[in-house]
Parts: sequence; C-alpha cells; structure tokens
Amino acid sequence: MVFYTRYMMHHKSLQTYLVILCTSLLWACTGSKHEPITADNGYDRAAMLTNIADEIILPSYARFKGKLDLMVSQSDSFATKPSAESLVKLRQTWVDAYVEWQKVELFDVGPAEIYTLHSYLNIYPTSTTAIETNISTGTYNFGLPTSYPEQGFPALDYLINGLGATDDEILAKYTTAADAAKRISYLKAVVTQLNTRFIKIYTEWTTNNYRATFISKTNMDIYSSTSLLVNGYVLNYERYIRSGKFGIPSGAMLTDGTTAPEKVEAYYKKDLSLTLAKTAHQASLDLYNGTSALTGTQGPSLRKYLLALDAKDTKTGVSLVAEIDSQFVKVADRLNVLKPNLAEEVSTNNQAMINTFDEMQKLVRLLKVDMTSALSVTITYTDNDGD
Amino acid sequence: MELKGYTDIYLQKNTSAAVLAVFRIALGLLLFISILRFWSNGWIADLYITPQYFFPFYGFEFVKPLGAYTYVLFGLCALSALMVALGWYYRVAMVSLFLSFTYIELIDKSTYLNHYYFISLICLLMVFLPAQVYFSVDAYRNKSIHCDLIPQWCVDVIKLMVAILYVYAGIAKINSEWLLHALPLKIWLPARNDMPVIGFLFNKSWVHYAFSWIGCIYDLSIPFLLLSRKTRVLGYVAVVVFHVLTSLLFPIGMFPYIMIVTALIFFPASFHEKILSVLQKTLRLPKLIGAGVKTLVYSATSLQYFKYGFIVFFALQLLMPFRYLLYPGDLFWTEEGFRFSWRVMLMEKAGYAQFTVKDSSGKKAFVNNTLFLTKLQEKMMATQPDMILQYAHILRDHYASRGFQNPEVYVDAYVALNGHMGRTMIDPTVNLAKEKESFNHKSWIVLYND
Repeated sequence: MVFYTRYMMHHKSLQTYLVILCTSLLWACTGSKHEPITADNGYDRAAMLTNIADEIILPSYARFKGKLDLMVSQSDSFATKPSAESLVKLRQTWVDAYVEWQKVELFDVGPAEIYTLHSYLNIYPTSTTAIETNISTGTYNFGLPTSYPEQGFPALDYLINGLGATDDEILAKYTTAADAAKRISYLKAVVTQLNTRFIKIYTEWTTNNYRATFISKTNMDIYSSTSLLVNGYVLNYERYIRSGKFGIPSGAMLTDGTTAPEKVEAYYKKDLSLTLAKTAHQASLDLYNGTSALTGTQGPSLRKYLLALDAKDTKTGVSLVAEIDSQFVKVADRLNVLKPNLAEEVSTNNQAMINTFDEMQKLVRLLKVDMTSALSVTITYTDNDGD
Repeated sequence: MELKGYTDIYLQKNTSAAVLAVFRIALGLLLFISILRFWSNGWIADLYITPQYFFPFYGFEFVKPLGAYTYVLFGLCALSALMVALGWYYRVAMVSLFLSFTYIELIDKSTYLNHYYFISLICLLMVFLPAQVYFSVDAYRNKSIHCDLIPQWCVDVIKLMVAILYVYAGIAKINSEWLLHALPLKIWLPARNDMPVIGFLFNKSWVHYAFSWIGCIYDLSIPFLLLSRKTRVLGYVAVVVFHVLTSLLFPIGMFPYIMIVTALIFFPASFHEKILSVLQKTLRLPKLIGAGVKTLVYSATSLQYFKYGFIVFFALQLLMPFRYLLYPGDLFWTEEGFRFSWRVMLMEKAGYAQFTVKDSSGKKAFVNNTLFLTKLQEKMMATQPDMILQYAHILRDHYASRGFQNPEVYVDAYVALNGHMGRTMIDPTVNLAKEKESFNHKSWIVLYND
C-alpha cells in the first residue's frame, strides 16, 4: 500500500494547501505591524565594524604605540646610562605601556591573530632561569614558541623589578655585576623585539590598510570580521583574563585547589596586577558597548546589535543584554574588593580570587555560548544542516 | 481480496526505462562532483585524517578511520560514482558506491548531515533497481540486458523516499518554536542582512515568520505538487527557488543541488526520453535508445522478495523518525532519536563543555578540549549528550594510560538552545567514565523542563 502515494493527491487537498499558504502569508504580513522601527539601526554590521575599527581599535593601538615609544626611548636612556633615576623612569614607562597593552590585547583579530601578538608580548609566568641562561650565553631566538616566556612585558617585569629587593640591588646588576653589559643588551633586545612585534601589526592596520578589509567583511562566515573579532574577544576573556589572571594563580581551575601566587601577572612589580586585571576587564566591557576610546561615547556595538536582534529567552522573556550587562557589573564588584597585589590576595585572601573567577566564568558562558549563538557567529567552515 | 488485486495490477504497470537511467546518470555525476568538491576543499584531511579521535555511531564502532588510505576510499567512491553514471559494471559500482560512501559517513558523527544519510539510502535502493538496462555501457556491451520498459514501482520507490524526506522534514517543523517564535530562523536570517538587494528584509520579524511558515508548508506539500500532473511545473519551480535561496542563505553544501536534480524523477517518461536523446546527439554517442518495446519482467519469486524487502525498508523509514516518542524530555535538548529523521535546520544550539578528570589517589586534571578534538568535533560534542559520553570515555582511557587509577570523568556542560538562556545539560555529579552507551534513555541528562 505504500506504493500508492502517487494517487493520494486530490484537488481538494491542493486547495487546502493553497488556502493555508495564503492565510499564513497574510497572517505573517500583519505580524509586521508590531515590530518597532527604530532610527538607530543596530543591525548594521558595517557600521558596527567601522565604529570598532575607528573609535576603538585604531585609537587604542595608536595610544599603545605612544606609550611603547616612550618605553623604548627610556630603555635606551637606561641602557646608555643605568642610574636610579633612569631605572625609575623606565619602570614608569613600562607600567604605562603594560596598562595600555591591556586595552589592545583583546583585539585578537586580523594581523594580531595571524602574527600571534599576544604570545610574544604577554606570556607569564616568565622563565627566569631561561632568561638568565640567555643573558649568560648571549644566544637566543625570540621567534621560537619556546622563547615566549623569555620575552615581552613579563620578561621586562623580571628584568626591572625582580632582580633584587631594592633599586640599588637591581641597579648593581646593570652596573657593577660581571655580566652587566650582557644584561643591558638582553634588556634592549627584549624591548626591541616587543616593539618590532607590535609595529608589524600596527603597520598592517594603518599603512597596509587592514582597516578597509576589516570593515568590508560584513558577512558572518568563518572568515568574517564579526566572527573573528568575537571569537578572539571571547578567547581573550576566557583564557587570558579569567584563567590567566585569576583561575591559574588561585587554583580555581584545579579541583585540588593548589594555589600558585607566583603565576599572577606582573608578579615582580607586586602592586600592578589588580590594575592590569581591572583595565583588561574594562576594555572588554568597552568593546562590547562600542565605547569610543577617543570620546567615551557609545556607538554601534555588539550590545546594540544584540538589542536589535531582540535576543531574549522566549520562555522567560529574559533579555540577553540585561544578563550580560549585569554580569559585567558583578565581575567589576568582585574586582573592586581586591587588594592591588593579587599574589598577596592568593596567599592571604584566596576566596576573593576564586569568587572573582566564578563570576568571570559566568560571563564567559554568556559571551561564549549565549552571545555567539544569538549573533549566529560561525565557528566551523564545513557544510552544516543545522543539527 | 480487493487490495491484493490492486497490488498485483500495480506491480505489473510499466514505465520507460529512461526515467531511471536519467536518475542514475544524475546521481553518479552529482556524487562525483560532491567528492571532488570535498577533496579540493581539503576536507578529507581536515575531517578524517587530522583528528586524533573519532566519534563512531553506536553499533558501528568497527568502522575505523583509515589514515592516509582515506584518500583511497574517497578515490574508490568517486570512481564508483563515475561508473554508476556511465552504467559500466553498474551493479558492482553501485554496491561499491553505497559501501564506500556509507563507510565515510560512519567514521565520525561530527560530520553527520541528513543529506548524506539520504544519499546512502538512495544508493542502497539503487543497488536493487534496474538502472543499467537503458542508456548504459552495460546495456551497450550486452544487448541482452537492454530493456525499454521497466516496472513502474522501480521509479516509485525513489519518489516515495523523496516524499518521505520532504513530508517528515515538514512534520518536524510543526512545533511551537518554529511556527510561533520563528526560531531558529529569527537568529539565522539577520546574519545574512548584508546580502545585496534583499538583505534588509532579513531584519524584519514578519520575514522570519513568513520563511518559517512557507518552509513548513513547502516541505509538507512539495511531493504532492510534484506528483500531480497539473501542479508539477509549479512544484518544480518552487523546488528550484526554495533550494537556491537556502543555498544562498545557509552553508548547506551540495544538498540544494541534489534535491533540485532528484525532483526531476517526478517528471513524465517523455521528459526523460528527451533528455537522453539530446544527450545522445550532443555527445554523438552510438545508438543506446531502443525501439521501446522490450519490457523488463521480474519473476514472481523476485517480485515477492522485492515486495517484502521494500515493505520492511519503508516501514523502518516511516517509524524511525518517531522513535523519539519513546524517550522522556525535549527532543531538541536530549537529541535522543534526533538523527536519521529528516530534522534539518531546526535549531540553533551552542554549548560549552568543561571536563574534569580525577582518580582515587587525588590526581586531578582540568581538560583542555582543543588538545583532543578539532573545532568541529568540539562544537558538535558540546551540545550532544551521546558525543559527550563518547568523549568522556576517550578522556577516561587517555588518563588511565597516563597513570590515573580508575579515572572518574565529570562534565560541566552549559548549552543554549534556540536563543533560550543557557543552562546545565549534564548532571555534573555523575561519573561518565562508568556510564555506558545504549538505546536507553540517558538518565544523567538534566531534562529541559526540570
């Protein structure tokens, strides 16, 4: 009897289908009256990408470049004439550049992703033994992945903050110590490498106009700017903010909870780690909100896009944007009760570190699962039939 | 015994062998192109050689990846497809095409697509159908197998399979998410709003609803529109428009083209004869088209085998998609009984699975999935409970070999379905290392409505 399907079609059923088709079209069309039409077109991904490129990424890169230039010239002064004064100045320019770096580390898209800028600039804990070996042998290859922990801001942290208990002790390593000249040359090599790595990315965005490419790829496939930006942004928050700054040192990611205070960022500077974490968290919020690094006003953003999509739980009516907004605040609240030295917090007040990690974990889920799903961001490139 | 009488009359009805010949040529060529496309995209390495681990189907664990020999498998598949198109050693080629294609699809669940399953089923049917008796190398070389007419049922089984695909895909769309909330199209369509000319429409709510409803009605009605002579052209235009549109909107590969070509089988014999005569003239082929008198007749015994074979096959096809009713909970959430049911483009699902492995001696590990799985595998695993279990077992065995005593595996699985806020999918207190795969309900899935 299964062979009889071809005789099942009757005119009546055809008419029924046509009637259903027409009424559904009518019904669907009337539904449009309820849609609020807003002047602010949050749907426009080209506008969003333009805002992010021109108001956030480019000015942040330019500002970071300014801080980096100061650090480079100060390291030259220090190398030429190591003194208590030039050490203090170098340290301050390092602090300023490191803080500014937190505002650009999250742009793991385009050239920064291709040339793995993060890996060269901010892998910690730094390897002090490898650094000492490099200094004494004078041979090292900063291009190798194994050398990541021997360069970047963490290596400088060790070289200008970690060589002694006092500035005099540190200075002695660059002046009276037997390997002082070698150490100076290593310090310069680290600074040069850091600068070179960044300039490569900066040139791509400016001289080679990656900006135009970034803005033009408005679709949502795996190579689109929105996909790359969001994937990099979420990865940065998950791996480098949540895990790197809190999860690993606090032991929150290990079920036996072994703490590792020496694994905090800027460990040798001691009082900088919280500032770095707060800056990185704020930068993530600013990118999400489309907050201009120039004027502080909010333009087209991921947040506005989610609002335009009306991303909400159809069962509970909970708005995804409201959830994300409130979770950003909860993380900030946790950060605000911490003391400046996170290594000290791990040793004496680790529960506060774990609490921060837990709230960050909730934010990661919202960004990585709920937000990317609502945006329809592509993760893979193969065929898909949606199941 | 009136029904029996009808059956006998039906079984003796004939149609032109050209219908199945055209279908054979189209199927062979399309599969050949599909494999070339797959190969040239580098997907053979990406999907079947690069991954360290694979997710076989329950009951098909004997299907193993072949490493570098996977290229040989794809080569065999492509060659078979070409031989099928030519009708050259058809039966052997068809069996080889069915087996090689199905083997590939069984290697890793992460790559499961409904249209691959459809192709496997069509290939299986074609193994038993006389598609080589007309316009083929086989029939040219051995005139005795040449036939101009074949039983009508030989064509109708293909039509029935196509009809099942569409109607079941339509039935699957009759749910409140699809019809009342326009989900997941409401999520997917705005992502295409930068398309030229029509892109702006995808931001509009009424368009999401219109697409959802038209899609559902389209699936339910298309086989009937194609079957009726009066509506056939309208139906076919709808097929082309719909599938071209979906291919522009979604990354669904060859599927739209396969369906556009497959639907031709609903056209009358004269249409197919015309295609073949044009083909013969343009390619200047030797005479392959007969005088139109010789009829393929099966013996009564073979007919009985065919009849019961097809009854079993189609009964399975009709029942399989409803097996989900045997499981508790929301089908989209548990995915118990989700595959092999023509549930296409039905849901937006994303997940995040954090595994922890520990043992009695106090060893613990926080698993980094990227060290074990490809992006595609991780994405698929994170939302599908049966794959989460398979991965838990992969982790158990890996850590056991790394000195963990009876490793225990736990997962924190956070999943968002169709834009609803994410929630926990798997009971985080259950040691998955000890759970076993079966067709029974997985009690460690946290049900959606709890």
